[in-house]
Amino acid sequence: MELELIILFIMLLIFALSVFLFKLPSGIALGVSATIGAILGGHYFPIRHLIEGSFGYLDAILIIATAMIFMKVVEATGALGTINYWIIKHFYKVPILLIIFMSFFIMLPGMLTGLSSACILTTGALVAPALLAMNVPRTVVGAFIAITAVYGMIAPPINIPIMIIGGGVDMPYIGFEKPLMLSTFTLAIITSIYFRIGYVKKINLQDVLSQISEPLYNKHGIKLFFPIIIVIILMVGPRVIPEYIPDIGAPLIFLIGALAGFGSGEKFNFFKLSRTGIIDALPIMIILIGVGMFVQIMTLTGVRGFIATSALKLSPALLYVGIAILMPLFGSAYAASSVLGVPLVYVFLGKNEIIVASALSLIAGIGDLMPPPMLLCVFAAQIVKEQNHFLILRKSIPMIILTLIIGILMIIFAREINQLI
Amino acid sequence: MKAITQIRPILLLICAGVLTFIAAKEMLEMRKPDIIIPSEGLTQKRKLSDYLNNLLNTNGNSDIYIFDSGEPGANVLVLGGTHPNEPAGFISAVVMTENVRVMKGKLIVIPQACLSGFSTTDPLEGSPQEFFINSKRRFRFGSRVSNPIDQWPDPLVYLHYPSKQKLSGFETRNLNRAYPGKPNGTFTERVAYAIVQLIKKEKINIAFDLHEAAPEIPIINAIVTHEKGKDIAATSVFNLEFNGFQYALELSPTNFRGLSHREWGDATDVIPFLMETSNPIQGRLRGVTNQNLIINGIDKFYNEAVQLNRLRITYRVEGESLAHRVGRHLEAFIEIINAYNEIHPDNTIIIENLPNYGDLINNGIEKFLN
Repeated sequence: MELELIILFIMLLIFALSVFLFKLPSGIALGVSATIGAILGGHYFPIRHLIEGSFGYLDAILIIATAMIFMKVVEATGALGTINYWIIKHFYKVPILLIIFMSFFIMLPGMLTGLSSACILTTGALVAPALLAMNVPRTVVGAFIAITAVYGMIAPPINIPIMIIGGGVDMPYIGFEKPLMLSTFTLAIITSIYFRIGYVKKINLQDVLSQISEPLYNKHGIKLFFPIIIVIILMVGPRVIPEYIPDIGAPLIFLIGALAGFGSGEKFNFFKLSRTGIIDALPIMIILIGVGMFVQIMTLTGVRGFIATSALKLSPALLYVGIAILMPLFGSAYAASSVLGVPLVYVFLGKNEIIVASALSLIAGIGDLMPPPMLLCVFAAQIVKEQNHFLILRKSIPMIILTLIIGILMIIFAREINQLI
Repeated sequence: MKAITQIRPILLLICAGVLTFIAAKEMLEMRKPDIIIPSEGLTQKRKLSDYLNNLLNTNGNSDIYIFDSGEPGANVLVLGGTHPNEPAGFISAVVMTENVRVMKGKLIVIPQACLSGFSTTDPLEGSPQEFFINSKRRFRFGSRVSNPIDQWPDPLVYLHYPSKQKLSGFETRNLNRAYPGKPNGTFTERVAYAIVQLIKKEKINIAFDLHEAAPEIPIINAIVTHEKGKDIAATSVFNLEFNGFQYALELSPTNFRGLSHREWGDATDVIPFLMETSNPIQGRLRGVTNQNLIINGIDKFYNEAVQLNRLRITYRVEGESLAHRVGRHLEAFIEIINAYNEIHPDNTIIIENLPNYGDLINNGIEKFLN
């Protein structure tokens, strides 16, 4: 048995024991298993590597922290509740349209930023109360916004996993709109139909509206939505008119949006809200720190290379199954795209590279839902106030399987799909 | 109980402080500059800020070594360290700097084009911070991109100037995606701009950007050039193949912007060339990541991957040693210069005392370091 396999096995075992037996938070468990992995690999206690790895997702951590503060502010001003009220009031008659509208709405921030977490923290958080008010179970709401967030991250115009793959294979980010739109929008519609049939019952408008907060538009007017409008302008502007609106980075955008909340609606205590936001975001931020350490040590000890090479060793038929299993198990769309996405584009050279890369990004996107980090499930659980984020993953499984099948079919029939579109 | 509750966070803070101190001390080692001892042929040492003033007192102020024969002839520029995690490009430029004598024309070498990237490593890559050649010379192994200390935060999507081509946000700090650069742009765009200004002001005729790539990247062992350089590249590839070195000629894609071989050629009169060698420590299939992998280039997973024959991998059973990779760069450089001289007999450059592939393999790199 190869040393790298033993290290991987022990790292995963330590992680599982730490979480399930010793009840340690996932982030701490990842850090502990990374440290043990480094010791097994003969690196003793590599403090520099552990600290460096913990910085791997610093940008994402800052985005999460500031987005949480922003969401707390728009909730406190009443903007969140007002939007929620309107969504239900205008779409309750045709629930299927309501759900499809919600799925596209959730996807929007991901399409513009390339971040799945942005979908859950912004639009996901906006529609979740509406769905909960319609008596959809918490875990189902969580699964719905988590899987839709994946489609948002993959849908055009911005798909960062493809950009990562493209950076590795010198492929410009051109011509991906059609395959990405076709795959993600179709999946979003199927997901909506699935959740509509399975979980959204007949809606009694008055019952639902009585459970949610009153709209405050009449009281505050359009300024109620200033924070949201400012965030949208600062996020979309640099893509559309970069000459006039510079990209100041998502963390600063969310902070400016949060500060714009002053005077826009109901009064709030900013310091109290930001403290609550950071406390809520803390478990997720710790997970990202732990994941960074884990990945760094996997790379240092050769475990990452072992996984990538093992994927290539699979027979052509098993390779497709291997891709569907191994890519998501990287637990991060970006990591899977970088480590497996790049060599796999070369493996399938001769098929259409644009379709192949689109499919690989879709499969890699599922990684954001998967353990060990289960980032989107943890986010979604927090939004719907569900203690056990594994239940969110469980409810997502049918859509995860469908997404993986679609992704694999796209690779197999890449040439034919390209001719069709 | 209350006392314990208060002591626990204090203890945790102390532990975090100690760990941070140890890690910071190790990370600060990367601020120590690499020692480069130029040959006696050096006539002038300049800085990149001489070509763009706002790089003064920044980590983008790379050293420029000028070897001017005083005899009119061709002006040649060599860039190493565009990507500080590609040591063969860097070390090839160091070997040139420490050995050459220019008898006709002018040679300008920038061994650490992306100086900022030498002061950090890429998170999640598990990279070593340095490597030693024969225990006597220490060189830094850096990041592919500029240090975030110098340019941060990255946008989610990098829009290349002026083409507006979209790349992942990380590439905003990649020097070889930033050309032709911008005088008042980001830190990396300013470094790129200064290099393009150097090419213009020094009237460079032919320029080299020395790189490495992961063994699974098909462009390895290729000479990439602008349309202007295809005759020279074709002649040199023919000569290299005649001497037993396998090379392919690749023309710079017109729709992939920001790269030296495209933008230098479009923005200036220079004929640009970019060369890649196979560098296992950059690869996604690599095993244990350490200094040995840089120097010896032996990796069991790449060996297995070659046997699998699933994708084109440039990796030899004996490994891709640093001496082999530096040797290839120098050999190709010599052949391209020869081809240039052949095609432009009225404007030649004569460079002496530059070791070739055989010299590097037979004597090791250390023989050619001062």
